[in-house]
Amino acid sequence: MREEDIRREQELIERSRRDPKAFGELYEVYFDRIYYFILRQTGDEDTAGDLSSQTFVNALNNLEKYQFRGYPFSAWLYRIAANEVNKFYRRQKGKKIFSIEEGRIRELVEQTNPGTGDLDEELIQQMLTYLKDLPTEMLQVLELRFFEDKDFREIAFILDITESGAKMRTYRALDQLRKHFNIRLKYDE
Amino acid sequence: MSKNEIRLRRQKLTGRGIERFRNYGAVLERHEQEKRIRKIVRVFTFFLIILIVITLLVIISRVEKRLTPADPAPKQSYSASYPRPPLL
Repeated sequence: MREEDIRREQELIERSRRDPKAFGELYEVYFDRIYYFILRQTGDEDTAGDLSSQTFVNALNNLEKYQFRGYPFSAWLYRIAANEVNKFYRRQKGKKIFSIEEGRIRELVEQTNPGTGDLDEELIQQMLTYLKDLPTEMLQVLELRFFEDKDFREIAFILDITESGAKMRTYRALDQLRKHFNIRLKYDE
Repeated sequence: MSKNEIRLRRQKLTGRGIERFRNYGAVLERHEQEKRIRKIVRVFTFFLIILIVITLLVIISRVEKRLTPADPAPKQSYSASYPRPPLL
């Protein structure tokens, strides 16, 4: 994000504090991203729609408390959304769902392992089984790193963990992935 | 047993489905409603605290009154205890 964009966004936030209608502009910018982030963690469109709305209501209710700390405003929204998802699963007491697009998996593996061509169906299924057994915290970090393209600093802020904790979880998961599937990852360089 | 369930989506997410959830008017309305509720709760809490403080003050003053010893009975005057001598 360019410095000018950040400044413009901060002005908009300041304006939204006085007039909540101004927040509509930020809503339009970030709604899609927040919706898909929640949809990936719930797998249900209606639930994702409800939780996204709740995320923006909470953001609007707590806009007075928001302070710029070097993270983009979206990181704050992601953090609220992650809390909403956690609350949802605490109420549900069920298994946590991660809904992943097949194309994204292919894209990621092709990205990390150039020249392998198409991934076969069996490998994808094996990878899904492997991911299913990973601890939820690891999956959350992997999701933010590879599906949302967030850096470790932002991931740490969103999940309320330390930056080294975020790195450790990612590298540990990738390490296991490397061992299980004997593939080269971009971190191997 | 694993704690997570991984679902594989064959289709890419499109913007079409999302449109039915995009409604800033509803978000704004809920925000106003929650703001109103918060204000009511704040006022109610304020009065509740004042009521508790007043009740405590009343209780303390009553207990204090009960604990302080009662004033000793006023001394009887000489004239009251002894009959006046008859006038000669």
